Amino acid sequence: MKIVCLIKFVPDVEEFKYDYQRHVLIRENLKQILNPDDACAVACALMIKRSNPETVIEVVTMAPVSVSGHLEDLLRLNIDQAILISDIRFSGSDTFATTRVLARYLKQTTFDVILTGTHSLDGSTAQVPSQLAEVLGLPQMSNVVALDTSSFLKGKPSFDVEHDTSIMTFSVDLPAILSVSRDSAYKLPYVAYQDLNRDVSSRIRVLSHQELDLQPQETGLEGSRTEVRRSFVKNMIKKDKVILNNDREGIEAVYCYLHEHGFVP
Amino acid sequence: MDSATLLEKLSTMLKVDQINTNHDDLYDASADRYKKYAKARKVLDVPLPVAIVYPDSTDEISRLLMFCNQNNVNVIPRGGKTATEGGLENWKELTIVIDALRLDKILKIDDYNMQATVQAGVPLQQLEDSVRKLGLTTGHSPQSKPVAKLGGLVATRSIGQFSTLYGGIEDMVVGLECVFPNGHVSRIKNVSRRAGGPDIRHIAIGNEGTLCYITEVTVKLFRYFPENNQFFGYLIKDVETGIKVLREVMVNGYRPSVARTYSEEDAAQHFYHFHKNQCVLIFMAEGNVGMVKAIANGIEQAVEKFADGILEKVDSKLIQDWFNHLNWSQKDIDDEFEGMKENDSHAGFTTEISADWGTIPLIYKNVMARIRSEFPRAGDLTMLGGHSSHSYCNGTNMYFVYNYKIKCNPEDEMRIYHHPLQTIIVEETLKLGGSMCHHHGIGKYRNEWTKEEHGSAYYMLETLKNAFDPKGIMNFGTIYPQEDGKKYR
Repeated sequence: MKIVCLIKFVPDVEEFKYDYQRHVLIRENLKQILNPDDACAVACALMIKRSNPETVIEVVTMAPVSVSGHLEDLLRLNIDQAILISDIRFSGSDTFATTRVLARYLKQTTFDVILTGTHSLDGSTAQVPSQLAEVLGLPQMSNVVALDTSSFLKGKPSFDVEHDTSIMTFSVDLPAILSVSRDSAYKLPYVAYQDLNRDVSSRIRVLSHQELDLQPQETGLEGSRTEVRRSFVKNMIKKDKVILNNDREGIEAVYCYLHEHGFVP
Repeated sequence: MDSATLLEKLSTMLKVDQINTNHDDLYDASADRYKKYAKARKVLDVPLPVAIVYPDSTDEISRLLMFCNQNNVNVIPRGGKTATEGGLENWKELTIVIDALRLDKILKIDDYNMQATVQAGVPLQQLEDSVRKLGLTTGHSPQSKPVAKLGGLVATRSIGQFSTLYGGIEDMVVGLECVFPNGHVSRIKNVSRRAGGPDIRHIAIGNEGTLCYITEVTVKLFRYFPENNQFFGYLIKDVETGIKVLREVMVNGYRPSVARTYSEEDAAQHFYHFHKNQCVLIFMAEGNVGMVKAIANGIEQAVEKFADGILEKVDSKLIQDWFNHLNWSQKDIDDEFEGMKENDSHAGFTTEISADWGTIPLIYKNVMARIRSEFPRAGDLTMLGGHSSHSYCNGTNMYFVYNYKIKCNPEDEMRIYHHPLQTIIVEETLKLGGSMCHHHGIGKYRNEWTKEEHGSAYYMLETLKNAFDPKGIMNFGTIYPQEDGKKYR
């Protein structure tokens, strides 16, 4: 059994700071993190591997080489190998061009299932998994919140999908693409202290334009179909902090606030 | 001897209800608040003690220690369980915890000679409440006051929030009774002063259960004048200004009960209601009317002298309100513990050091710079600051305070976060001649620097251990570095 985890590193939006004078986001020193939905997908793959140690997990990402450290941390978690698709010529690729690049690699390799996240923190269009399914001719399902390991190992996994207020159970023939949601209970473990400095660099394979036999017009801005007409930063208003005493007046003020905002009747 | 035999032998020495082998209680007894997060997550990697025992008397403790000494059973003395440095953590398979639970009597409150004698297991709060009825105070008020017990406070060389006026526990202990591993009971009598050779109280005070078991203590009492209390608060430019004002007050001979300065970060977490992202300086003047008037005057003069660094005076009522809610109760401890079961976070850690006036600002600056540039997880820090809270004529302490997002397995937290941070603080302190622990004690995780802390005087410390506990049965790994304990780091 081979699982490919398609992952993406995104800016840690929780760390975004806002310049209220200039109304711009401060992007300096912003850290990259593994996209939360993708982290759940990797965690799900690791859970399957715990049940079936023969399982091979390969993480695949399209990113600058600066994410190597993050990939190394994943490899220290019992992930078998990492594919880093990286080339300056990929810069500016939209979801269409990204799908083309990823599909080029995925057509060259074998796998039983692709686990990935449903949404990404930065774009959140959820287009890449379904576009990939189209290109690769695979079934695909988003918002997976739970996956049954035993049926998975039998080759026809059943899984739960969250849809509005209901949870539906499906099963699918493999190979398939399953997009996991951060609302699932899967949590990526931490690297153990003794493994923190383990050298795993040899298990990262970097693929560029050349290895994937891509043409310049197929990737980057040139290969993208999306045109950005305009982008803007939403103006945010700095709210003053109000400090209340733990007395009748303070409690009344808190209650009124919650009431006005619909949190209490 | 194996665990079963040990239990069998204990049952011949104690009644059934004096021996506790409940698994949950033994798990709780295997570590203190140093590994609080791992403990809450049930991933402690240290052995469980074989039993917790509750002796009724000094004689029983004497017999227990003799037995343990003869049979190489490790002993961990325990009081209110508020230790934060691993002093109560167990590093030996064959261990018993001797809990002072039943040594719970206030033996005498002498309001003429101004001293109170209590057994080791009396909670400080209980004693304080009793003497307050007589218009007196112990003057001792550590944050753990509602939980901590007198024996533990003396054994760890505790200090309280009013120390600048009343002193540390070492200034309060008049006499005590303690039991050594060979069963010998020593009573140090209660006198106002003595010059009969070295002051042997200090062999027991701060021994952290490594030399003897403290069974009884006599502490000083003071007249209590809460109606005269005056509070002062200021927003100030930087930590250095605060240290200068503290020094000015102290070297002019004034003794406010509280004299503190906070960094911006630490002020923000303590004084959310007025900090305005500035450093904070606070004082409390306490005592009789004349004293308070003089101290208040001294504080105002010192503040005036460094007026350039004073940004704003704070309403004294805000300081008073804050101070009235400072102690943590057993409920606070329990709430934090419950919270850690569910969340990857806790209330943070502290490391307290001391040095002279000239050195403290340097240590503070060096520590901050090193942590920000060297600590591999600096990006996970959610809080890094400090405050000076105990001042003397010749120097002060620095309480480094820090918290972080815990991004590791619970069992690795101390290795990845707290210990590397503490290492930087201790190294920078020792480098400049300060003391690596001001009032928490060495415990088990600062013992790697005990020799460096004491330098050539370590000879004296080591000789005490060899003399009083030659078989090393008392609290293995605490204070004294042990090769065999390194695996628990």
